Amino acid sequence: MASASGSLPQGTLDLLILKTLATGPRHGYGLARRIEDTTDDALSIEEGSLYPALYRMERRKWIKASWKRSDLGKDIKVYELTDDGRAELRRRIADWGALTSLVSKVLRAR
Amino acid sequence: MTSHPPPRRDEDVDAELAFHVEMQTRRYVDAGLDPAAARVKALERLGNLEATRRSCRAIITAQEHEMTRTAWFNGIGQDVSYARRVLRRAPLFTITVLLTIAVGIGATTAIVSVLKSAMFDAVPYPDAGRLHVIWNEYATLPQAAVSAGEFADIKERNRAFDAVAAIRPAPGNLTGNCSGGAECEPERVSAYQVSPNLFEVLGAAPAIGRAFTAADGVTGAPGVVILSDALWRRRFGGDPGIVGQTITFAAVPRTVVGVMPAWTRFPDAPVGYLRMPAELWVPFDHVQNRNTGRGNQNLAVIGRARAGVATSQVQADLDRISGTFRTDLPDRYAGAAQKWRLATLTLRDQVAGDAKPVLLMLLGAVSLLLLIACANVANLVLARGTARSLEMAVRSALGADRRRLIRQLFVETALVVAVGGVLGIGIGVALLRALVSLDPGSLPRLDAASIDGVVLLGSLATTMATGLLIGLVPALRASRADPQAALGAQTRGAAAAPARRHVRHALVVIEVTMAVIVLVAAGLVVRSLTRLTQVPTGFNAGATVSAQITLPRATYNSADKVYGFQRDFTTRLRALPGVSSASGVYPLPMSGEGWSGTLGIEGFQEAPGIPEPHAEFAVALPGYFATMGISLREGRDFADSDTAATPPVVVVDDVLATQYFPNQSAIGKRVNFGGPITDGKTPWSTIIGVVDHVRNRGPRASGEGQYYMAALQKSEFTIFFVTRPAAADTPIAPAIRNAVREIDPRLPIARLEPIDAIVTRATARERFAVLLLSGFGLVALVLAGIGLYGVMSYLVGERTREIGVRLALGGRPGHVLARVLGEGITLTLFGLAFGLGLAYLLSETVSTLLFNVTPTDPLTYAAIAGLVLVVAVVAAFLPARRATRVDPLSVLRA
Repeated sequence: MASASGSLPQGTLDLLILKTLATGPRHGYGLARRIEDTTDDALSIEEGSLYPALYRMERRKWIKASWKRSDLGKDIKVYELTDDGRAELRRRIADWGALTSLVSKVLRAR
Repeated sequence: MTSHPPPRRDEDVDAELAFHVEMQTRRYVDAGLDPAAARVKALERLGNLEATRRSCRAIITAQEHEMTRTAWFNGIGQDVSYARRVLRRAPLFTITVLLTIAVGIGATTAIVSVLKSAMFDAVPYPDAGRLHVIWNEYATLPQAAVSAGEFADIKERNRAFDAVAAIRPAPGNLTGNCSGGAECEPERVSAYQVSPNLFEVLGAAPAIGRAFTAADGVTGAPGVVILSDALWRRRFGGDPGIVGQTITFAAVPRTVVGVMPAWTRFPDAPVGYLRMPAELWVPFDHVQNRNTGRGNQNLAVIGRARAGVATSQVQADLDRISGTFRTDLPDRYAGAAQKWRLATLTLRDQVAGDAKPVLLMLLGAVSLLLLIACANVANLVLARGTARSLEMAVRSALGADRRRLIRQLFVETALVVAVGGVLGIGIGVALLRALVSLDPGSLPRLDAASIDGVVLLGSLATTMATGLLIGLVPALRASRADPQAALGAQTRGAAAAPARRHVRHALVVIEVTMAVIVLVAAGLVVRSLTRLTQVPTGFNAGATVSAQITLPRATYNSADKVYGFQRDFTTRLRALPGVSSASGVYPLPMSGEGWSGTLGIEGFQEAPGIPEPHAEFAVALPGYFATMGISLREGRDFADSDTAATPPVVVVDDVLATQYFPNQSAIGKRVNFGGPITDGKTPWSTIIGVVDHVRNRGPRASGEGQYYMAALQKSEFTIFFVTRPAAADTPIAPAIRNAVREIDPRLPIARLEPIDAIVTRATARERFAVLLLSGFGLVALVLAGIGLYGVMSYLVGERTREIGVRLALGGRPGHVLARVLGEGITLTLFGLAFGLGLAYLLSETVSTLLFNVTPTDPLTYAAIAGLVLVVAVVAAFLPARRATRVDPLSVLRA
């Protein structure tokens, strides 16, 4: 069980997944590792929650999945960003920026 | 890595999660953990595996459902857009079917809605089928009122009714307080003197206050009234506090005990001689008058039959009571000549009255129209089905799912019916509006009629069902057909299966049959109206204009003032430029108002069993007969010198004169108007002139004998002034207005219109029926023509090859033309034979509507047959001519 250094704000996981997939197609496990690496495991998400999030996003057509056979002969489900997903990512990044700058402003205020 | 078709969903999720755990385990092993511990740690890191698996599967399931639904709707959407393309490619077919459906549905809906409002909404009482009206029925007078004595006996002796009530018109002046207690203008209101239990019989309770009690009806009881909702709102501002207050009606102070709800103003629509809806009701137990004389017939009787007692049983009960009357008073009731009995009919039938046969006839006509529409749709869809069997075969050969093809045809038919239905609603609304504006008052409660949802759905469903049922048959057949056979047959241009051709021929015959029936009905009423307008009415008004003026009693409070106005006004009218003569009368012939009553004749011996002398009467000013163009046969007209100071005089018509003074001159004989001859109190009036009989109630009814009293001896507040211009095109209405204004600017003028217009309105119902039936007949004829045209066109289309071969082998185009034409005419002749035969059998049902035309009028039948044949020849000629233009070479090469 990963120790959460604070539960993720609503929607943050989606943002992380979208951002990570923007660098190229990945399978679920690869996504988890990549998120761990880029965040120095500081966010250390509960990996199980990754999959329902992926399925949800697939249903919303932000990402699409395809099955590939790996070099080891295993069937692997690989996710990649769709155009809708890319648009969603841009929107979320903008929202995130707006939110954080707003919060910092509030925090800086005397 | 290679692409791979997606596995099924459950395995999908499991495989993905297993892969994740395996990779993570491998990573921990690489970091130095033993495999078992690594696996435990990997699972731990994943969290609740079962929960994860469940949420993933749930998401997938939801998504799949969504996709299935979307696919289905996309399919229907595709069908609809395909259907739209197909229909647009065949605009003639589409427009024809659309209009057919729209007209069928629109007409049916409008007429049935009118029928419903006239037959049912006009009698808005609970369990209204049990309400019956009772009249004295004589051979000469089918609905005579009932005397108090007769009413009392019916009340005591009947076994068929829960309760009976009597009602009598008692209009009077309402004076005194209005809303806010302010003194307001006296007004004349439509009131009825009713049995205290009337509302109980009807099944209507006051909205405010109480109903009458038996004690209210006793002579000498404190005066009470119940107000109608309309009067309550108009005069008392809808103040509920009016209950318990006193108002003055007919010069008697009375306490308001209740206000009826807005939905009842019994009589809501005319019930026999009860013409006006009530504004207030006064209680009176008419049984108290049982000894006032049985000749004094002035009551309408209404009863609520016991539950489960049919109208025939009510009549049987009344026949039994009639028997007791004959035994008790043979002189009055047993005369063979008068054929008297107590008769009943339901309140519904009474209210629907003369309108009922018209409405039923229209209903019959629209039903036939809807049938024709259905047959036409079926025919066109069938024809299309044949034309499209190639398309279906091709699509089937290309692997289209059979269910898919059927759904396609279903969607096409549904689309056409839906659009046609919407158009139909539009036509229905327009037709209903037209009916309301065309028919001022001849149908009960027409103003309240609205498009009935149930009716609309019913006619939509009928058309849809027909279209689908008949549209599906070829669809099923086409989709089942062996594509190869169908393709081969089609290209060789073989005729459609004989069975299907028979169906289409039958449909055309049915259409022609129905159309002929509607047309015969229309033809008969047209002939009848023509006869009706040719009836001598007894007057020849030319361009005479009427103007009704009612003098207010408050200011014209003496007879001299009334006479003064009438003299002064007619003098002014006569002096107007362009006016040849002017006078006045009340009531005006055919104005819808009428007076009739008993009269006394000097020296007349009342024979047992013969009704007392009874006649229509009116008051007239000097010069009336000349102005209206009523011929004076004998004696003289009224003169200005006949005044209240001189002996009373009277003018009678030739009918009255020959009836009571046969073989002698009526001039100088004396009559009075007090009723029975025993009444010596009213003075005798001397007959000074005999004029032509006038059809006062319209051209249809000849009416009773008539007499005219001198208006200048009979102080009458309401007069129709009649002004005859010297030239027909002189507009005199504005001058009449001015003349009134010069004498008394506060006097309102009503019914300022040419007598012509009034006479036309007297045949409004007939004109209404003629207009609608001719319209329906025309539509029916066009629809049948379209049906025939469609069938002949497809027939020619199917036989293109055969015709081509004939022409190539030297067949003459004329022969081909004759063959096709002959086939069309044969079908029409079958339809004509059936139609004329059925019309002949049904003709008795329209006989009540006809005037001086027999329902089997040969001229009408012949004319309709000719008309239908002409249309049929045209409808068959166009496709036949196309057949002669077939190019043999191109057909043979194909």
